[in-house]
Amino acid sequence: MSGFSTRPVSDAPLRRDFGWRFTAAVLASAALTLLLAYAVVALLWRGTALWGTNIPFVWGFDLINYVWWIGIANAASLFAVVLVLRRHGLRSAVNRFAEAAALAAVAAAAIYPILHLGRPWLFYWTVPYPAATQLWPQFRSTLVWDFWGIMSHVVVTFLFWYTGLIPDLATMRDRAAARGRLGLARIYGFFALGWRGSVQHWARHQAAYRMVAAMVLPMLVSAQTIVALEFATTLVPEWHQARLPLQVVATGLPSGLGVVLALAALLRGGLGLGRYIDDADMDLLAKLTAAAALACGYVYAEALLVAWLEDQATRQAMAARAFGAYAGLYWGAALLVVVLPQLLWLKGVRRRARYAVPIGLAAAIGVWLDRFSLVAGGLLRDHLPRTGPLYAPSLPEWTLLAGTVGLFALMLLVFTRFVPVVSMFETRHEESEADAP
Amino acid sequence: MTTHLLAEFEAAEPMVAALRAARAAGWRKLDAHAPFPVPEAAKLLGAHESPVGWIAIAAGLAGAALAYGTQWWLSVHAWPINVGGRPLHALPAFLPATTIVGILWAAAGALLGMLALNRLPRLHHPVFAASQFHRASEDRFFLSLELDGPDFDAAAAHRLLAPHRPLSVAALGG
Repeated sequence: MSGFSTRPVSDAPLRRDFGWRFTAAVLASAALTLLLAYAVVALLWRGTALWGTNIPFVWGFDLINYVWWIGIANAASLFAVVLVLRRHGLRSAVNRFAEAAALAAVAAAAIYPILHLGRPWLFYWTVPYPAATQLWPQFRSTLVWDFWGIMSHVVVTFLFWYTGLIPDLATMRDRAAARGRLGLARIYGFFALGWRGSVQHWARHQAAYRMVAAMVLPMLVSAQTIVALEFATTLVPEWHQARLPLQVVATGLPSGLGVVLALAALLRGGLGLGRYIDDADMDLLAKLTAAAALACGYVYAEALLVAWLEDQATRQAMAARAFGAYAGLYWGAALLVVVLPQLLWLKGVRRRARYAVPIGLAAAIGVWLDRFSLVAGGLLRDHLPRTGPLYAPSLPEWTLLAGTVGLFALMLLVFTRFVPVVSMFETRHEESEADAP
Repeated sequence: MTTHLLAEFEAAEPMVAALRAARAAGWRKLDAHAPFPVPEAAKLLGAHESPVGWIAIAAGLAGAALAYGTQWWLSVHAWPINVGGRPLHALPAFLPATTIVGILWAAAGALLGMLALNRLPRLHHPVFAASQFHRASEDRFFLSLELDGPDFDAAAAHRLLAPHRPLSVAALGG
């Protein structure tokens, strides 16, 4: 019965030394996170004049990056949710860090909508609280949808991650105590809430875990859909489309799956967890990414073809987006999101980290290009002639993006350092079932 | 004085068999600890999953009702703003926040309901005193019997456990 020992997983966070590579990664991502702090302070000090946004391009990097990060978070959560609800063998390996990636991505995303308010320090005005001014939020405004959508997304993603983590934190508590590290055991024990593995507790825990997972599912659709609805409720021809929510949700998938794929490949190599994240896991993950990319291909083709059946304004707006000044972004996105991931159907490509990691990250970059093409390219043909210059991000905007990438990386590194990256109780459960005659 | 006996098993099957025997012999104050869910044992102990779902659904509906009610009351009564003659009570505009807050409450209700039904957080419990109990979160299975009256004393417990060959039996309490 020693078949289901998960010691290598639980011992990883208890290691005293993670090696110089890990330290270097933490230092690099911490430096980028500091850069984020600098960019935020600069923005608060100087205002949005620092950014390249101008009429008609009022939504620049803030919305592009927000929608992009939410897409990554959604696909990562969707993946984890489907694994939990389907009780699939793969979930034990990857659902935990897919959840962690989703949480980090949501945190990175949640910064942007606050910063793009113009006067970010007044963001709490969207909260319905009894103010001395006797004013209330305007609930018919999309800004208020954003507040509820983002706040709920952050909280529910966290609850999903934490609910699954409770029993594993108890394992960490007991392992740390067994190694005589009582201070650490107390910290793990506090967050494990006194979990003692009672089978009655397990039964209710599993029900709650599946319930929270089921709640994440509509959250994913609604979070992306609310953003897309905010575009769709404008009168901009390229945005005022019923298909926009579907398009944003569907194109979000390859980015998140690509990031999870890259993380899985890196963790396998970096932490030596090849036994817990095996070739079959990588195969399934890679095939899912490729299939999501195919679905995106369909969405792209549909948008282009149906545009010819639309009225003139919509047709011209679509043509401007696909063949105008930002055509490179549009076709770059199509190449990186739809075409490149198809290589993952080849076994030789998806099993090798040196191919899988770049392809996964390229899919994420491709979706970023797609968001840029939607936010900036969608405004090329408006109802009024455009007189100003095209939108180009300024250095402070790039700094902000680099900063959130650093924050995302830092959060994942911290998770890897302190929390088991693989769901241990799932692994034990499956391996004990495999052992049974 | 010993209040509990804690028997350690190497696998889930003997633990479940011992639990079944204890139930048959009339032991009522029992619990079992495992490193992963053992639905069979939970059923023997009479734990139901469904209350968690009902709590979550009730919390979700309450949250959605609160969200919709708040939006309606504030927009129609407390702070009516005429925007181009559009209706103050705007169902489509209220729906996104209503659904999403309902979902939020349902998810929080599932976690908090689970914790409440499990009587957690409880950072200390008699079973933690057993020296081997830390392996309940790793690879061992435990059956805990609360000694309760003359027919359910330590000797009876040992007689009950012996055929199932526990790795160890620890006395707790006192």
